[in-house]
Amino acid sequence: MRWNRLVVPLVICVTFTTTACDIPRDPEGTLDDVTGGTMRVGVTANEPWVVLAGTEPRGVEVEIVKLFAEELDADIEWFEHSEEGLAHAIEMRTVDLAIGGFTSTNMWSSKVTWTHPYLTTQIVVAVPSDHPVDEDITGLEVAVEKGTGAAGVLEKTDAEVVLVDDVAQVDGPRAIESYLVDDLDLDDTGVRLEESDQVMGVPHGENAWLTKLERFLLTHTETIDEILETEDM
Amino acid sequence: MELGTHHELPPDKKKIHAKAIRLEWLTIAYLISAVFFIYLTLGSSQAMKTAWFEDMLSLIPPIAFLVAARYRHRPVSEKFPYGFHRAVSIAYLCAALALFSMGGFLLFDAIMKLIAFEHPSIGVVQLFGHQIWLGWLMLLALLYSAIPAAIIGRMKLPLARSLHDKVLFGDATMNKADWLTAGAAMVGVLGIGVGLWWADAVAAAFISLDILHDGLKNLKAVVADLMDSRPTTVDDSAADPLPARIETELEKLRWVRAAAARLREEGHVFNGEVFVVPTSDDALTEKLTAAQRALNELDWRVGDVVVVPIPDLSSLRWRPEAAERP
Repeated sequence: MRWNRLVVPLVICVTFTTTACDIPRDPEGTLDDVTGGTMRVGVTANEPWVVLAGTEPRGVEVEIVKLFAEELDADIEWFEHSEEGLAHAIEMRTVDLAIGGFTSTNMWSSKVTWTHPYLTTQIVVAVPSDHPVDEDITGLEVAVEKGTGAAGVLEKTDAEVVLVDDVAQVDGPRAIESYLVDDLDLDDTGVRLEESDQVMGVPHGENAWLTKLERFLLTHTETIDEILETEDM
Repeated sequence: MELGTHHELPPDKKKIHAKAIRLEWLTIAYLISAVFFIYLTLGSSQAMKTAWFEDMLSLIPPIAFLVAARYRHRPVSEKFPYGFHRAVSIAYLCAALALFSMGGFLLFDAIMKLIAFEHPSIGVVQLFGHQIWLGWLMLLALLYSAIPAAIIGRMKLPLARSLHDKVLFGDATMNKADWLTAGAAMVGVLGIGVGLWWADAVAAAFISLDILHDGLKNLKAVVADLMDSRPTTVDDSAADPLPARIETELEKLRWVRAAAARLREEGHVFNGEVFVVPTSDDALTEKLTAAQRALNELDWRVGDVVVVPIPDLSSLRWRPEAAERP
């Protein structure tokens, strides 16, 4: 009976290592359905991540998702929703993926599983390149888009707040997305007003699908940066 | 007669007690690290969350033991003429109540997740430039929370027996059984891995049942203790033989016709009364004092035991056989 002592653990080990490759699996088989099939993507408008102006969705996250679908050899079917409608559609698994510039602090975690943040963006105070760069913005006139959260944060600093319609249209110091600083030929003062971690949403518990997407996002950070540079304008 | 002096352990027990204190400090340090590692890998697994709570709750008995170690040997005072032995029982009651209520809450939580068909998500983490499924790290954290605990538990068990310390005993058995909890949580995580969403909540329910059971068992023991039930062995499985031994020892004395001990446990020591029926009243005070001193020599656990003369044992209503004695 000494054989048993060797064989049983051996069988367990072999089964384990051979199955370990496709762990985790999806309880509802999303990854299998999407691969070589159709990816149902729910979108909600949020510039520059998702732009729903034309016939087809555009935007940074739309482009990322297109690349992901390409990798999985899948066609994309787009579904336009409000944020709440999108959260509900994900909860009911009628869409496989939710995008719309969601950040890691959003409120829909009870219905949606969010990926690991794939990109961190900031709203910074930037100055024109001919302007002295100083982290002390006391008394500095800083333009900020009115009606935004960043405007509220800026109000709490010692800067002179100038409310404008579009920060791209003004000269002088302004509060702006960090990825726009270079494009507009500005210098970052190092003052950060807000920071957001960008995430995408998938149904709860579809862990093969979730990890596939997360691995894709983590290995394509450079591509994502490039997309952001070309799409943001 | 000397009362209120038995707040010190005999020298050989002191050494064991010091060792137990060191082990409990080690337990606390280790549990904090286990709680920290599990927290890092918590994810949205209910089984992990339950194992995490279990590890945090396991911190209470060693803390109770260490707090009690400070207070229970304090000398008696005017305000507390019985000393501070009961401090242990109070700490024990709090620990048992915490276990019981937390076990109930976690069981409810797990069942609600099953009813709601909640599918737990476990994603990928980036670690030293590698992408790893968080589930594998959860399994590692659970292994860490199981193996050292079982070893420490095994080391504490003989100390608890030797010290007749029920808090230490309960703590040691809990540590020893911790591999079961961690094992159940590992099955839950592996279940998620192979796509069985319900495995996680079922594993969590099992762990909470175990916590609930631990809580109930300890609650029963400590309530009995505070109700001054008859002394039991350290694992609460049987009546402690010491009261019976005291009775036989006293009955060996020529002037004692019959003896009946009524003792209660206060921490390590047994306090209470021994009723004796003397053959005559000659020099009774001296005889009683000598008998009491002899009892203190008999066993280190004999604390404040008063020897009381009575005409016969039949009036001792708690003894079913009392009436039949001569």
